[in-house]
Amino acid sequence: MSFIPGQPVTAVVQRIEIQKLRDGDNLILGFSIGGGIDQDASQNPFSEDKSDKGIYVTRVSKGGPAEVAGLRIGDKIMQVNGWDMTMVTHDQARKRLTKKKEDVVRLLITRKSLEEVVRQSMMQH
Amino acid sequence: MTALHQSRAEDSDIQKKIDYEIRMREGACKLLAACSQRDQALEASKSLLTCNARIMAYMSELQRMKEAQVMQRLARRSSDAGPMDDRSPCKGKVAISDLRIPLMWKDTEYFKNKGELHRCAVFCLLQLGGEIFDTDMVMVDRTLTDICFDNTIVFNEAGPGFELRVELYSCCSEEDYSAGSTPRKLASKLSSSLGRSAGKKMRAGLEPGACSPTSNGGGATILLPVPSVPGPKYHLLAHTTLNLSHVQDSFRTHDLTITGNEECSYWLPLYGSVCCRLAAQPHCMTQQMMSGCLRVKLGGEPQGWTNVYGVLKGTNLFCYHQKEDMEAGVEPVLTIGINKETRIRAAEKDPHSKAQNICITNQYGGEEVTHTLAADSREDTQRWMEAFWQQFYDMSQWRQCCDDLMKIELPSPRKPAIVTPKQGSLYHEMVIDTSDDIGTVTDILARRIEEFELRTQLGSPPHWMSLFEDPPRTPLNHQHLPPHSPSPRLHSRQPRSPRCHRTPGLLSSNASLTSDSDSPASVSPCFRQAWSPDTSSSSDHFRPRTLSLDAKLSTLRARGYGGFRCTCQPPTASSVSPRPAQTALSCSSSTSSSSSSEGSNSQESDLGFSRPSSARRSLRNLRAKLDPRNWLQSQV
Repeated sequence: MSFIPGQPVTAVVQRIEIQKLRDGDNLILGFSIGGGIDQDASQNPFSEDKSDKGIYVTRVSKGGPAEVAGLRIGDKIMQVNGWDMTMVTHDQARKRLTKKKEDVVRLLITRKSLEEVVRQSMMQH
Repeated sequence: MTALHQSRAEDSDIQKKIDYEIRMREGACKLLAACSQRDQALEASKSLLTCNARIMAYMSELQRMKEAQVMQRLARRSSDAGPMDDRSPCKGKVAISDLRIPLMWKDTEYFKNKGELHRCAVFCLLQLGGEIFDTDMVMVDRTLTDICFDNTIVFNEAGPGFELRVELYSCCSEEDYSAGSTPRKLASKLSSSLGRSAGKKMRAGLEPGACSPTSNGGGATILLPVPSVPGPKYHLLAHTTLNLSHVQDSFRTHDLTITGNEECSYWLPLYGSVCCRLAAQPHCMTQQMMSGCLRVKLGGEPQGWTNVYGVLKGTNLFCYHQKEDMEAGVEPVLTIGINKETRIRAAEKDPHSKAQNICITNQYGGEEVTHTLAADSREDTQRWMEAFWQQFYDMSQWRQCCDDLMKIELPSPRKPAIVTPKQGSLYHEMVIDTSDDIGTVTDILARRIEEFELRTQLGSPPHWMSLFEDPPRTPLNHQHLPPHSPSPRLHSRQPRSPRCHRTPGLLSSNASLTSDSDSPASVSPCFRQAWSPDTSSSSDHFRPRTLSLDAKLSTLRARGYGGFRCTCQPPTASSVSPRPAQTALSCSSSTSSSSSSEGSNSQESDLGFSRPSSARRSLRNLRAKLDPRNWLQSQV
């Protein structure tokens, strides 16, 4: 998942669909994000490449909508409802996830274990 | 004769729909004539356009049906009935949602500060078969980077060969003049006195459809030529057609054909594509296509037939013990996959049974697994085989829609969006986080107070107590609270013996509001004991508050302020220096930064508690953002 400037980024992604949970007037997803192009990427404990300024999942509330949908800590979010998340500021990312009009967010996420699985299955054949 | 009756029924059905739409159209025309406000006129014009489109669609469908009837009659008369066993695929639901059309403003447009903002009202018209829907109207100007339509539109009876036509209509919406109602002479006079570009725009606005005939792109639009009605007119800006190959369970980008050019008043700089989610649920995936009693061979013994109730739905044949199990939602006893890889054949007649067996073969991870089923009679076997063939046919027609069931959400019933005037402040944008809950805050504070109290019980005062010897130096005096009458302005004040060991449990967030009256009473005596400074200052710090929770908090803070500081960082004995806010406290993620400030920053933290939590958060965000050492985390 390392980023080479000028080369397209490819990743093995998984689709995760999270139904927001209504808590009074708020819609919560049940996870926390970290990262963004305006953040210090070297402090990201989850990224492989410490210059990766993407949005990562830093915490997943137990039993919350995100955990139920299959989101795991350390996942990198590539897209939210079709909007790109690889080159956004932290606040832009937060806003894209917390739109009040949307009840469902469809994420494209990538994680290291997915690549492992693909690599292993490719080795078998 | 029955065919004729059926077609008559369908005719009258469509006729009713046409009549309804004509009534709607009349209503829209009247509304348009009566409107004074631009917004209403735009909405009415949009409804008018949609009604016209629907009328035209119904009329053409009526036409088609009449033609089909005539053809049928001809066919029957000449007894040229061809083989009637060509299959027709099942219908399905098609849903389009999250439409987004990116715009590409020129930088000269973007930075143009003088002159009016070029605004257009746009909406999308979607047609599939005989159904036409329109999205909500969106006002677009150069501050938007994309046109987004939030609606989810579901078409219920679509065949696999469907064509979903998406059309984007736009209407110029300049505030200066209402095009179309100004008499021509005046308009030409005005245009000659206005600037060149403004005049050109006005003239273009006055001539309805000036741009459209030349730039329609050849394809017929859904619209009828509209009888001229005063009011704003929409023009076709772009269109595209989507079909089964565009259906996918995720977002995709499609190309738009743009009609119109820069000279038109309704022009918008489209990037040229539209992004949306097009999902389809064929009925073969959502409905039970066939069900009935079967016998299935389980295990290896030749005689081991088990009676089951089979249900063919989607890509599976579910076998339940009995019909009631299926209705009750019990797990099926056996599930046989029916998909593109499955092979089904009727086996040779089993000497023991009356009818042929049905063998279903699947590949499960490289291995071939065959299930043998039998129906009760020959007719049943025939019906099951027919159902399987139909299912295979449907799957071949609907292709990728049958791999997995795509989700289609029906738009949740929401109360209509209340248009609030645009607020400039951050407060109105922030979402209240559960961890910002004031209850959580009091919990945390209460715990801290408990810790502090335990320590004071041990007798040794913390080293920073020296700070409080000097009355003017107490941070509490720094709180800019207006002096107040000594008694807190809460109604029922129960006298309590001054005790330091009052359990902070009373101060927990779960406490009912009545306990509020207790806290100030109990706090102040304790307060006086714990701190040596003058008692007069203590009671001065009860600021009148409207929220009882706020009252609780203020007293808590008055008590626990020192406690806070003692646990986070021991300040130097000499002075109370303001510290930059840091997320030093591990527990409360949201309140730590505002509460850990002190001294001269105390005012902010004080305000931070009494303002809505959104402001507190904005302050925290600002501080955190400015601190380059932080790696922000946000809860969503």
